[in-house]
Amino acid sequence: MNGGPALVSIMRQGSTLIASVHTALDDSQLVRFEHDLVDQIGEHRSRGVIIDVAALDVIDSFAALTLRRIAEMARLRGALTVVVGIQPEVAFTMVRLGMGTGDVPTALDLEEGLALLAAHAPRARSGTSTDTSNGYP
Amino acid sequence: MPGHTAEDVAGLLPMVRRIVGARVGGHPAAEDLVQETLTRVLAASSTIEPGMLEPYAIVTARNVVASMWRDADRKRRNQHRALDLSTPDAPETQVVLDEEQSAMATALARLTDRERRTLLDHEVTGTDTRTLAAREGSTAGAVAAQLNRTRARLRVEYLLAVEKVEPPTDRCRPVLIALSGGDQRRQREVQAAQHLLECEPCARLSQPLLERGQQRDDSLRIAISGDPDIVSARVAARELAGRLAFGPTDLTVVATAVSEVCRNIVRFAGSGEVVVELLETPRRGIQVVARDGGPGIPDVERALGDGFSTYGGLGLGLPGVRRLMDEFAIASEPGHGTTVTMTKWERTNDG
Repeated sequence: MNGGPALVSIMRQGSTLIASVHTALDDSQLVRFEHDLVDQIGEHRSRGVIIDVAALDVIDSFAALTLRRIAEMARLRGALTVVVGIQPEVAFTMVRLGMGTGDVPTALDLEEGLALLAAHAPRARSGTSTDTSNGYP
Repeated sequence: MPGHTAEDVAGLLPMVRRIVGARVGGHPAAEDLVQETLTRVLAASSTIEPGMLEPYAIVTARNVVASMWRDADRKRRNQHRALDLSTPDAPETQVVLDEEQSAMATALARLTDRERRTLLDHEVTGTDTRTLAAREGSTAGAVAAQLNRTRARLRVEYLLAVEKVEPPTDRCRPVLIALSGGDQRRQREVQAAQHLLECEPCARLSQPLLERGQQRDDSLRIAISGDPDIVSARVAARELAGRLAFGPTDLTVVATAVSEVCRNIVRFAGSGEVVVELLETPRRGIQVVARDGGPGIPDVERALGDGFSTYGGLGLGLPGVRRLMDEFAIASEPGHGTTVTMTKWERTNDG
């Protein structure tokens, strides 16, 4: 895990955090991702979180549960989470498996996700420049 | 008092040879025994009374020969112990072994003389195919092919003998032999798949034959002992499934199901293994067998009960996996682990 290419990148744009998962994560990597993302929400006082899972070819029960947990923790910390980029075959499988994202809002892609956040939280500006771009982990 | 010199001892050689020869005859170790006797006599020569050298040598020679027999006998009697370090066999093991042996004898007897001779020369005596080809007036390749056919027949005859089954129809043997040999063209000729659907004994007997055939390159085995293995197992399963005419959805479904069952292994048993196999019969598909030796599931019915909210139930995710796959079976014995067997078939044109 160390020294290799980043598995996930978390970027800040205004009061929104954009987390992109680049590759399949195993369970412990998912847990680390969860912790890191929740930490950063507090650190950056984010109002919105976008988790881009377009690169994931499998979202199994644990991954789905992790997404839901992140969203719930973010909500308790005052941020709205949108999951974007779920692939069509992944969506089909999640439904058959009986593991959706629950109450977590979703959007087709990053752009739609940002629009959704903007609609829900008019005060969250997304115009300021990107200031952090840290590799994960 | 240095009673005897090395020359004196060397002079005993013909006598010692005679004594040893009288007892062991042309045994390959005879000369070793002679030398051993002389070495012992030489080592003791300084303490041997004058005139006692010959009697001493005679007694030593006898002792050396006797101890060789004793050693050989002890080795023979103890040989099984050297091989068998495990717990003593259960009483039924010998019975099973005897049955297997007699089944093998029956199977061998059902081969033709020529098949049997060639097979035994190759497998037991170790004669290579080229030598056999020269003897049979054939080529090495033809002999190897014939050996393969003989082995395929022997496997079938052995199974029939050990299961004490007499094939109900005269199509059974050709089908089983075609399956045993893994010859797909021949399997189509005899309509093996069709026959297996109609003939219950053959369907049962074909299992070990098919399992054997698939171990070549259409299957893989992944040891599961931690989180990263879950990902490697599902990646490998997806890759293998990619050889079938599966669309992206089926590939994702298989990968996800593998992910779920592997997670159960890691969470509840600690370690286990997953075997992914491509199936050709009765249809093309992919079979996943996930095994562990963990605590087992006390109430399988409940674990499969669909509460829909997976993590609200027993947390095994099994109802969801069952929905994903076409076939799903679970065997679990508390204290002895769990085996999940699941299959996804390739879709046929008619749906």
